[in-house]
Parts: sequence; structure tokens; C-alpha cells
Amino acid sequence: MTDLYLILAVILFNVGLVGFLIRRNALIIFMSIELMLNASNLVLVSMSHVHGVLDGQVAAFFVMVVAAAEVVIGLSIIVTIFRARRSTSVDNEILLKG
Amino acid sequence: MTGAVWAPLLSGVQVTFWICAVLAIVGAIGVIASSKPVYSALSLALVMLALAVVYASLEAGFLFAVQIIVYTGAVLMLFLFVIMLVGVSTRETLVDTLRGHRLAAGLAGVGLVALLTLGVGQAITAPAVGLEAANAGGNVEGLAQLIFHRYVVAFEATAALLITAAVAAMVLAHPKRLRPKPDQSVRLRRRVEAYVEQGVHPGAQPSSGVFARHNSIATPALLPDGSVAPESISATVASRVPPADPAQLGLPLAQTLAAIEGRPGAGPVDAEDSPSSPASPSTPSSPASPSSPASPASPASPASAVDPPGPAPAASPDRSDPEGGSDD
Amino acid sequence: MTAAVLPLLEFTPPTIDYVRLLPFLIVMAAACLGVLVEAFVRRAWRHEVQVGLALVALVCALAVIVTGWGSDALGLADPIGPDQLVGSVMVDGPTQVFWLMLVLFALLSVCLMAERRVYAGRNAFAPMAAAIPGSRAEAEADQAGLEHAEVFPLTLFSLSGMMLFVAADDLLLMFVGLEILSLPLYVLAALARHRRLVSQEAALKYFLLGAAASAIFLFGAALLFAYAGSFDFDLIALRYDHGAAADRLLWAGLGLILVGLLFKISAVPFHSWAPDTYQGAPTPVTAFMAVCTKIAAVAALLRLLFVALGAARWTWQPIIAGLAVLTMLVGPLLGAVQHNVKRLLAYSSVAHAGFLLTGLAGALTLQSGLTEGQFGAVSAISFYLVAYGLATIACFAAVTLVQSGGREATELAAWSGLGRRHPWFGLVMLVSLLSLAGIPLTAGFVGKFAIFTTAWRGGYWWLALAGVLFSLVAAYVYVRLLVTLFFRPSDDQVELRLPGPATAVVLTLTVIGSLAFGLVPGPLADLLGQASVFLRSVHG
Repeated sequence: MTDLYLILAVILFNVGLVGFLIRRNALIIFMSIELMLNASNLVLVSMSHVHGVLDGQVAAFFVMVVAAAEVVIGLSIIVTIFRARRSTSVDNEILLKG
Repeated sequence: MTGAVWAPLLSGVQVTFWICAVLAIVGAIGVIASSKPVYSALSLALVMLALAVVYASLEAGFLFAVQIIVYTGAVLMLFLFVIMLVGVSTRETLVDTLRGHRLAAGLAGVGLVALLTLGVGQAITAPAVGLEAANAGGNVEGLAQLIFHRYVVAFEATAALLITAAVAAMVLAHPKRLRPKPDQSVRLRRRVEAYVEQGVHPGAQPSSGVFARHNSIATPALLPDGSVAPESISATVASRVPPADPAQLGLPLAQTLAAIEGRPGAGPVDAEDSPSSPASPSTPSSPASPSSPASPASPASPASAVDPPGPAPAASPDRSDPEGGSDD
Repeated sequence: MTAAVLPLLEFTPPTIDYVRLLPFLIVMAAACLGVLVEAFVRRAWRHEVQVGLALVALVCALAVIVTGWGSDALGLADPIGPDQLVGSVMVDGPTQVFWLMLVLFALLSVCLMAERRVYAGRNAFAPMAAAIPGSRAEAEADQAGLEHAEVFPLTLFSLSGMMLFVAADDLLLMFVGLEILSLPLYVLAALARHRRLVSQEAALKYFLLGAAASAIFLFGAALLFAYAGSFDFDLIALRYDHGAAADRLLWAGLGLILVGLLFKISAVPFHSWAPDTYQGAPTPVTAFMAVCTKIAAVAALLRLLFVALGAARWTWQPIIAGLAVLTMLVGPLLGAVQHNVKRLLAYSSVAHAGFLLTGLAGALTLQSGLTEGQFGAVSAISFYLVAYGLATIACFAAVTLVQSGGREATELAAWSGLGRRHPWFGLVMLVSLLSLAGIPLTAGFVGKFAIFTTAWRGGYWWLALAGVLFSLVAAYVYVRLLVTLFFRPSDDQVELRLPGPATAVVLTLTVIGSLAFGLVPGPLADLLGQASVFLRSVHG
């Protein structure tokens, strides 16, 4: 039973990794990365249970904090790029300097 | 005491695992296989919720709550906000210069899969210790003891992460207003000045020509001479939707009129209405309609007369609208 | 009712040894203060205040590290007990060495970031990053003289993350440090003043690949936790000593963690972000990234491999050696065909990652017992990093000077003849490039010598030979640039801006350093050798 959790986590992680490698949409790539983080959290929490220590749960908690910060930064970069690219086609205030 | 609270969940750990594992894997495949980011985000929510339930069954009550409230509730919703903000078709944000990297990455990925599969299969054979001892004083209390003692430096250092995130969002997404925002009086003055100097129409723009058959704002209004009024649709819409053909827009009405004329029983009320509609100058039949004599046909008959010839020609402008609409 | 349910928590507050952590705390506090400066100081003064704050903080941190060097407070003499320092920050000799290097090179990078004269009164960053590139709002922001003074606190945050990363004695803290060092860099990479679309794309690429690398690192860390039941390096090492059937978890975890760390070092095949990001990011940020990130990642890799997985070295040494060969081969080969100086320097940075890995493979000589004048693995690698850092910062400082039409001219063709036209510039590039190539009488040569010796004595004689061979290939890259600089007809369109005081200081110090440590390597080698043994935390 205990290594079933690991196998599930590895499956989720690999699916995330494959998504990261094959998708072209930045948002979906980013979500694949979140999937990988979630797989890691599953390992941490289940192994916390296996070893009978709470350190894994603490780590999962830190991972969530880190993921929140990472999402903010990643999405602001994506939004910045989107505004720049989209506006080249729609907004007429462009003076394209090249 | 806390153990008692979680007892019902613990009783079915295996059932919980199998149900949640299936849901999580389905969700994970949904994340990477969906064509649209929205579907991916919702699939990711499924994965996260399934994992939250697994956490609950693993005596991680605090993480169960945090996973739902923070991860699914806040982080994933941020994703959804951005997806809505960026538009669903985000073809522009593709990473496009990874060509050489892709093969190498694929090979590395295959190697990694092999490595991992070899690594974890049957790796842990010992029975689980369980967290009853560690959670004796309560799960949250146990975590707090660790966070504020053993991992206190890491905890304090995460402050840097959060500050960085806030600063980054401000730097990248918050433009500073350099000119004062024009208030209503300023805008009014500008409009009047434009009218005086360049003769720009100071009033409201013409509204879009949403006819009875078109419920899309991409349908432009027609001027009395049958041409399209370009101001009647917003520039954003105009840039996405191919420009409308005025002749085709006026076609249904013209056909209606033609049908009315072809059928001897057109009522005089309809005949009076038709010259006032914008499409009428394009139809040569309109002067002829008042001359036709009154007939016993009921007022409902013109509506029914429209339908049989209507769908076939009118379908083409109709078909172009859903395409434009589905992108938004 | 809740008071009845919740028992009164018996909590013993941790005893944090703040004196040991002081350099880290200074940097972190200055970064937080910098954010407050953004909020409360008038816009016209912000740049000066931020630069002053960053420089003062870095100099203070440097002073604290230097004054505490070798003293008992550093724990060089006595082992660290579990109560003396919580949170598993290990301030031992190598930590001190790497902190010193990080702060020093961050100081030089901050000088480059503060430079304004080179860019005609502006700094290297976008006037308003949130404005759409090429829009009227951007032009207005430029005219209004807006600047992002936030780059300084962001740099300091990144530096504090690096300091934590280097000192982390457990995987969780290491992960947190890795993220703290990475996140500000993603933002900084997007802030170039010119060619902003390229810069933003570079930032996106760096972010996506970096976040994936972090996730892979984390999964590896989680597998090691599954293996050992702890994040602590020392306990992981103890677990290995016991021997177990579950070792496959260890290998899987080790492999994934290596991917995450080798990405930061930009070793082949995880190097693909480096050229794009180096090219797109603002040049001062590129300098910071190229030097400090590499130092931090190499140091963290050293600690992880030596402390946590030292007993398993027979497994990871061949992997590291193989990747070293690959990296030393691919880096220079791709560098030789580049037509952009920043990309060329990026591939040079990849190549140097390979040489550093060569030294890592020689871990056998880590333990003390070296005779006088010999290099241990840690001191050899840190010497190499110093040499690499000095020369690389000098090169990127030079990149900021070569301009055409008000922006940096990074095309290789634009650099032709510059060394002949401006002898001082030629001298700077000559010394730096020769040091990067590892020609005798420069610091780079001593570094390479030390690294190859380490590998040789570690039993990897073939790796040392390969390293010497690939150094020749790598030298071709630098010689090509030198030939362009000195023997090609010059282009009149390109102008060489005179460095402002900050850049001048950077150029002078780095060139003097490259020469001095090449001619008289003894003192530095002794200094680095003094503090090259990793301490282990003592558990009951």
C-alpha cells in the first residue's frame, strides 16, 4: 500500500513532465509545472505518514507558499508578454521601434 | 481528540486512495491534453481536490484545508483570472525558440521516466508508521512546533518570496499614470474642440446594427445608402471579425421584400414600413409595393412568408458570427 | 470552549545564533528596507538612495564576513551542536568562502546596475516595465526620467536566496533558497531597456524552464525524504551508511536533484536557457546571473554531494564526470559559431560549468591531509569560480560600453578593431579573455590547473586530460573574439562609451584581480584552503 502513493505521484509527475515538454501554450506549460509540484507534495505527505514524522507535511506547506509566489511572478510575466504581443495587432498607439 | 475527528476518513483509506487516484490521473491527463487553457485549469482543480482528499486520509488535516483553500482556491483561481484576462486563445504566448532543445528534452524526459519507474517500484516495503504519535498534540500544533523551531529560518526566508512576488507584480503589471486621468469636463471640451476644428461628430457613436437575425455586436449598422457605418462596431471586434458585406447584410430584408412583392397578398402596413428600412434602396422593388392592392391576408402572413426562402441565403452571415463569438 | 480544547502549547523558542547569520540578515534586511524606500522616498531620490543602501549593506556584509573569518565564532574549531543553530543553516568554512565570493561579485554587479553615464544618463533598465514596448506611454515614461529602482532590492533578495542556498544543510531550506534566488532573477531578466520583446521572451523562457527545474529538484528532494525520512543532509548520509534495499529511491532522488542543480549551473544538456536568457536580460543582470548564480549552484552542489551523498560518491562521480565531458565539448563548440558577443559569453559560461564539474568529480581529495600548497576540491573549485567571476564580470562590463545608436552593439562584427582603436579597452578584454581561456599568468590558468590536479588525484586522470584538450577548443572561442578585436578593420558606426565611475571601478578591480591572482596565487589559495572542510551537523 505504501508504495502505491509513490507510484501515483510518479505517474502525476511524469504526466506533468510530458505536458511541459510537448505543449506550446505558456499557460498550459505552467499548469503542467504545477502538476509536478502537486506530485511532489503527494510524495511528501504520504512519506510523512510512512515515516511517522511531520517534516514532510511542513515541506508540503512550504511548497504551497513557494508555488503561490511563483504563480504570481510567472503569470505577471505571461500577462506582460501577452499585452505586448496582442497590442501589436490591436492597439494603434504603437510606434514600433523594432 | 483530533484523531477522532478524522476517524471516518481513515476507515476507508484504501477506497479513498483508489477513487482519488483515478480522479487525479484523469485530471492530470486533462491538464496536458486539453486544447484550451480553461479546461486545463479545471482539470488541475480536479487533481488538486483529489489530492486534498488523499491528504485528509493520510492524517494531514491542516494540509487538506490549505490545499483546498490556498492552492485550489487562490492559486488556481489566479490562473483562471489570467486565462480570462489573456483571452482563451493564447497562441501569442507560445515558447517558440526551443527547437534544438526539444529533442534533447524529450530524450531526457524518457530517461527520467525510466529512472523514476525503476526507482520507486517496490522501493518501500516497510509498513507505515502512521502519524498518531506525531499528531498526538494536534496536527496543526505539531506542524507549528516544527515550523517555528526547526524550520524557522526557512519560514522567515519565505517572507522574501512573498515580497518579491508583490514587487514583481507591481513592476511588471502596474503602469504608473504619467498624465492625469481626463475627467468628464475635459473629455467634453475635447469633443467640442474636435467638432469645431475637424468637424468630428460630437455625439454618441451609432449603435451596432443588431438586426432581428443577428444577435452579435459584430454586425455593423447600415447607412441609408446601404453601406456599412464603420463607427458602429468597436475596433477590437472589427479587428477580429472579417468585415461584413453590406449587400449580404441587407439580403434577408431584400428577400423579404421580394417575397412580399411576389406574393399578391402583402398588407399595406408592411408596404409602408419597407421604404423606411435601411436596406430598401438596394431593392428596386420597393416603389412598386404601394401600388399593389390590399389582400385578405392576415398580418401574420408576411412573417410566415419570410421563413421558407430565408434560411438558405441568410445562413452564410449567420455562420460567420459564431466563429467570431467562440473566440471571445 | 476553544480554550478547553486547545492545550496550552509548550513551545520552547528556538535559540538562533544571529551572529553567525549576520551577513545573510544584513542583506535580507537591506532588501526589505529597499522595498520601503520605494514606498516612501521621493521618486527623484530613489535611485541614489537605493544604490547607497545596497552598497552600504553589501560592504557591511563583506566586513562582517571578513572580520569573523577564521575566528572561533565561525565554528571552524568546534563542531556545531543542534541547539546552537536552528533551521539547519550551516555557517561553516565553505559557507564563509562562498558568502564572501557571492557578496563580492554582487557588489560588482550592483555597481554595473547603478551605472548611468554609459547609457547617456539612464540606467540599463526599462523606464516602465508595465508599459507596452514601443507605446506612447513608454516614450513618455522615458522622457519623464522614470526608472525601476526596484532592481536593487530584487537583486539583494536574490543574493540573500543565494546565501541561504549555499548554507543550507537540509533539502527543504535548499529548495526555499533556490526559489528565493530564482524568482527575482526571472523578473530582472524582463527589464531590459532596449529590445524589450526579446527581454520579455527571455524572461518567460527562463521562468518556465527554471520553474520546471525547481519542480524536478523538489521531486528529487521528496524522493530523498521518502528514502531517509528526513531532509537533513547528515541523516540522509547516515541512512545510506546503514545500507538498504530501498537505495533505488536514493538514486532516483539524486538524479532528479542533480537535474535541478545542473540546470542552475547551466551544464549540458540543461543549458539551453543560458544563451537566450543571457542575451535578452539587461547586461548588468546577465553579469550577476552568470557569476553569482553559478557560484551559488556549484557551492550547493558541492555541499549536497559531499555532505549528504559523500558515501555514495562511487555512483555520482561517473555521472558528473560524463556530464563534465559533454559540457566541455558542447559549450565551446557552440560558442565558436556564435555571432553575438552575449551569446558567445553564455556558451563560454556553459563551457566553464564543464570545467567546474571536472573538479567536482575529484571529490576523493576532499578530506584534509593535503600537503602544503595543494588544492583540495573545494578550494580548487572556489579558486576557479573567483577567476571565472572576475573575468566574466569584466567581459559583461565591456559589453555595456560598446554601443551603436544609443544601444548596446552585441554583434561580433561591431566589435572589430575596437581593441586597436582603444588600447585600454583592448587591455581589459585581453586580460579577461586570456583568463577565461586559461593562459598562464592569469587567474584562469591557476584555476584550471587546480581543477585538473584535483580531478587527476581523484582518480579521474582521463577527465583531466580531456579537460586540457577541451581547454584548447574553448581557447579558440576567445582567440576568435580577440582576433576580431585587434585584427579586423574597425566599424565607424560603433562607438565606445567612456565608463562612468562605477564601471571604471569594476573594470579596474577585475583586471587587477585576474592578473594578481594569476601572478601570485598563493595568498588567495591559502585563504580558500583554510576553510574548505564541510561541517556536519551533529545529531543525537
